[in-house]
Amino acid sequence: MVVGDVTTGTDVLVIGGGPGGYVAAIRAGQLDLDVTVVEMDSYGGTCLNHGCIPSKALISATDIAHRAREAERMGIFADPAVDMQGMVTWKDRLVTRLTKGVESLCEGAGATVLTGRAEFADENTARVVQAGEGQGAESISFEHAVIATGSRPIEIPNFEFDGEYILSSRDALALDAVPEQLVVVGAGYIGMELATVFQKLGSDVTVLEQLDDALPTYEDDVTDVVVDRAEDLGISFEFATAATDWEETDDGLVVHTETEDGEEDSFEGTKCLVAVGRQPVTDTLNLEAVNIDVDDRGFIDTDGQGRTSLEHVFAVGDVAGEPMLAHTAFAEGEVAAESIAGEPAALDHQAIPAAVFTDPEIGTVGMTEAEAAGAGFDPVVGQMPMRASGRALSLNEREGFVRVVADKETEFILGAQAVAPEASELIAELALAVEMGATLEDVASTIHIHPTLSEAVHEAVKGARGESIHY
Amino acid sequence: MVFEFELPDVGEGVAEGEIVAWHVEVGDRVEEDQVLAEVETDKAVVDLPSPVDGVILELHAEEGEIVAVDSVVVTIDVDGEEGAAEEEPSEEAESPVEAEQTPATDEADPTSVPEGRVFAPPNVRRLARELGVDIGTVEGTGPSGRITEDDVRAADAGDESAVVEQREEDPADDTAETTTPSSIGTSQPAESAERDRTLAAPATRRVAKEEGIDLNAVPTEKTRNGEAFVEEADIHAYAEAQQAAQKADATGADKADETARITTEPYRGVRRTIGQRMEQSVYTAPHATHHDTAEVSALVDARTELKGRAEAADVSLTYMPFVMKAIVAGLKEYPVLNTELDEENEEILYKHYYDIGIAVATDAGLMVPVVENVDEKGLLELAAETNDLATRARERKLSPDELQGSTFTITNFGAIGGEYAKPVINYPETAILGLGAIEERPVAVDGEVVARPTLPLSLSIDHRVIDGAEAAQFCNTVIEYLENPMLLLLE
Ligand SMILES: Cc1cc2nc3c(=O)[nH]c(=O)nc-3n(C[C@H](O)[C@H](O)[C@H](O)COP(=O)(O)OP(=O)(O)OC[C@H]3O[C@@H](n4cnc5c(N)ncnc54)[C@H](O)[C@@H]3O)c2cc1C
Repeated sequence: MVVGDVTTGTDVLVIGGGPGGYVAAIRAGQLDLDVTVVEMDSYGGTCLNHGCIPSKALISATDIAHRAREAERMGIFADPAVDMQGMVTWKDRLVTRLTKGVESLCEGAGATVLTGRAEFADENTARVVQAGEGQGAESISFEHAVIATGSRPIEIPNFEFDGEYILSSRDALALDAVPEQLVVVGAGYIGMELATVFQKLGSDVTVLEQLDDALPTYEDDVTDVVVDRAEDLGISFEFATAATDWEETDDGLVVHTETEDGEEDSFEGTKCLVAVGRQPVTDTLNLEAVNIDVDDRGFIDTDGQGRTSLEHVFAVGDVAGEPMLAHTAFAEGEVAAESIAGEPAALDHQAIPAAVFTDPEIGTVGMTEAEAAGAGFDPVVGQMPMRASGRALSLNEREGFVRVVADKETEFILGAQAVAPEASELIAELALAVEMGATLEDVASTIHIHPTLSEAVHEAVKGARGESIHY
Repeated sequence: MVFEFELPDVGEGVAEGEIVAWHVEVGDRVEEDQVLAEVETDKAVVDLPSPVDGVILELHAEEGEIVAVDSVVVTIDVDGEEGAAEEEPSEEAESPVEAEQTPATDEADPTSVPEGRVFAPPNVRRLARELGVDIGTVEGTGPSGRITEDDVRAADAGDESAVVEQREEDPADDTAETTTPSSIGTSQPAESAERDRTLAAPATRRVAKEEGIDLNAVPTEKTRNGEAFVEEADIHAYAEAQQAAQKADATGADKADETARITTEPYRGVRRTIGQRMEQSVYTAPHATHHDTAEVSALVDARTELKGRAEAADVSLTYMPFVMKAIVAGLKEYPVLNTELDEENEEILYKHYYDIGIAVATDAGLMVPVVENVDEKGLLELAAETNDLATRARERKLSPDELQGSTFTITNFGAIGGEYAKPVINYPETAILGLGAIEERPVAVDGEVVARPTLPLSLSIDHRVIDGAEAAQFCNTVIEYLENPMLLLLE
């Protein structure tokens, strides 16, 4: 033991204060467990500090300017000036407010909230290492632990993040000036969201993607709508193109690429954002001190309650694998805390909805038509194009659709895909339907407010029953 | 170490089983493979062997209770420290009906997350975990088959009978029980429908008048043009129900008497399976039945002659193997009787093998063990196999796979007595042959009535697939073989 160490004990030690960790801590506190949560950086984790919230803040802010500029058809002529520093300050203020909120929610639930890096000493003890030289460490003995250490962006060879030329998503969200030209490596959801933000802010954005299409986890007709709009905005795409290296130039940098057939090319930029995926953070934990299994990508293996190969240790959130989403982390955090409290909780969710905050947004839940057929259902599909929605048109929007997939015989709703304005909100209704085991008739018989975008959900469902009214 | 023994899948696709009898008690020491209980599924009765050595800490079900596959039935202390028993509360075993109570969490297997989609809302799925019910095995009764809380409770408590028991304990719930006219004998008047308007044929109206019954009071689910529609049978049923109710009132029968007049027996296990199969067969396949008689003097002689030889081989030779052979001859000539109708794909499946099911009456009800490849077996082999299957069926020791896969079925009701019947097809087969008793009966020979042994035959067919002419032709062939057993030599 290090000199100056003090040992305390706790029922539940939560490591990491992101969505997985803070929810586990709050829920454990609500269940009257003695809980300690330790965060080495900033409460709220990636989501609040460098992910969901800052990115959505910038997306909304730039969209206000963009829509004002594009509203000539509506009789509005404007060219708003954007003060990037002002926008970032606004974003930082709201982030601080939310992170403080997280800390006080944890405290309010009775959790002990610590700052420092927690690492395992053995299977029932962790040391909390304070930042800064010469600080003592606190040893915490625990009955149960919840690992919620999250993920970090993956670096590709030759593209080390330096915050100056080669940016991670975290760096990009903290820029105080709009780069004239931006090269984005990776057309996943983070790359697509940030490419849209910077193009709307006036950057000239080029997206390089190794695969043949953007957002490869979504169906083609869904991504087509988003890619078409992005191209209309002025973003250029280079698919099947891998970034191999880069060099500094007078105005910034040049990124070298190569296609599969060995064709080389290069793209100039003021800066380069690399967003090619995220990897689990386990190297902060001294995982060697305990016997916890990880998979070949380094994610911690867990069961239906989030339990690791060590009976009393749980792992939640990004560190426990796909899908790496904040709301998955929330759900896993709750289930882990309830399981520790002896409740019969389980991750038996029928589907995890997902959204991409591009223009227009994508929202999906459950099965696609092909997946439903693959799972042995006889799928029936209903689709409502947004150009038939009065509300969409009155918002000056016409692209996209809402689609619902159901089982033909029982009418159970199996999934839905929306690419539409506010698709992330629209999908919530269908997520509830999937989770409840609702049928097409249940949703078709529900009155939806007119005029709203949610009517598109209603029409898609009615369409699946061959009963569309407005389309 | 405490071992939670979950009910294994004791037969192919079996979702639940009834604990017929426990062979052990709490505190007993058991050895691996020792029989812990007898479990009856809808297919057979099987023994439940202990997977470990140890001491029984808790039995999680009572005799007669239905247990879902994968739910814990026995807790065994594998080290055999008997003191450990105190730690395990046996609340659940004492009140299996109390579904609300949360069992010790280690009984449920809350970590198990069902594969694939489950159509049940989150609260129902949680309840299933709480009660240790595998939601994947619960049959839903909600819209489109969605699983409800009640479904999970029923699966946990055994079945509907448990729900009824619970109600009887709670007099406040009495009203809930008496909503159907079938609750005759509870001295409640038969429930009347009280409509304003009822459609019925003039003849039906006349019957109602004769019986002194108000048509608007007769319960019915039938409609014509959206209006309630009553038929004569509905009136009779209603009249009878009312009379029964009046009688009960008149005798002033109190509750004790009522229970003596009608006792109940749970409708489940083999009984319920038979019921479901019969219902499915009769409501799916339009039955037609063809009757004929074989004059079997030659068959009786043949059997008498062969019997001694069979006994020498330790086989008791009945008429059954001859009948089976005659049937195979008939099926070969008229393959349409060895078929199955695939309604979904709109195809008739012709089977070019001859696996014959033999319906056997047992104490628990009808079972149909299957003799495979009858065409390839000799009479003695068939006799031995049939006898063995029948014996084990009566002892309920058949394995589920011995009870499935027949292509044609024989029912030998004549073993008990009788001439003709209307057998119900063993669906999805398309034909079944019923055998009456072989007895001497009057037969006309050359203008004179003489006594001859005859075998009355009753053949039911699925008229969707088989026509009457084919049924008659098939019977003719079977009769030809039964009357001339020498023909079997050519087979
Ligand atoms: C740009 C961007 C946009 C995103 N947008 C969305 C979105 O719109 N919707 C969505 O659902 N998801 C989004 N995500 C993903 C989301 O942010 C993550 O899924 C979520 O944050 C995961 O939560 P977590 O608790 O598992 O991990 P994190 O949020 O990563 O939190 C882990 C925390 O643990 C701390 N930590 C690590 N090791 C230790 C240690 N040894 N001791 C103490 N503390 C430690 C870290 O400092 C960190 O704060 C986005 C991510 C990015 C990068």
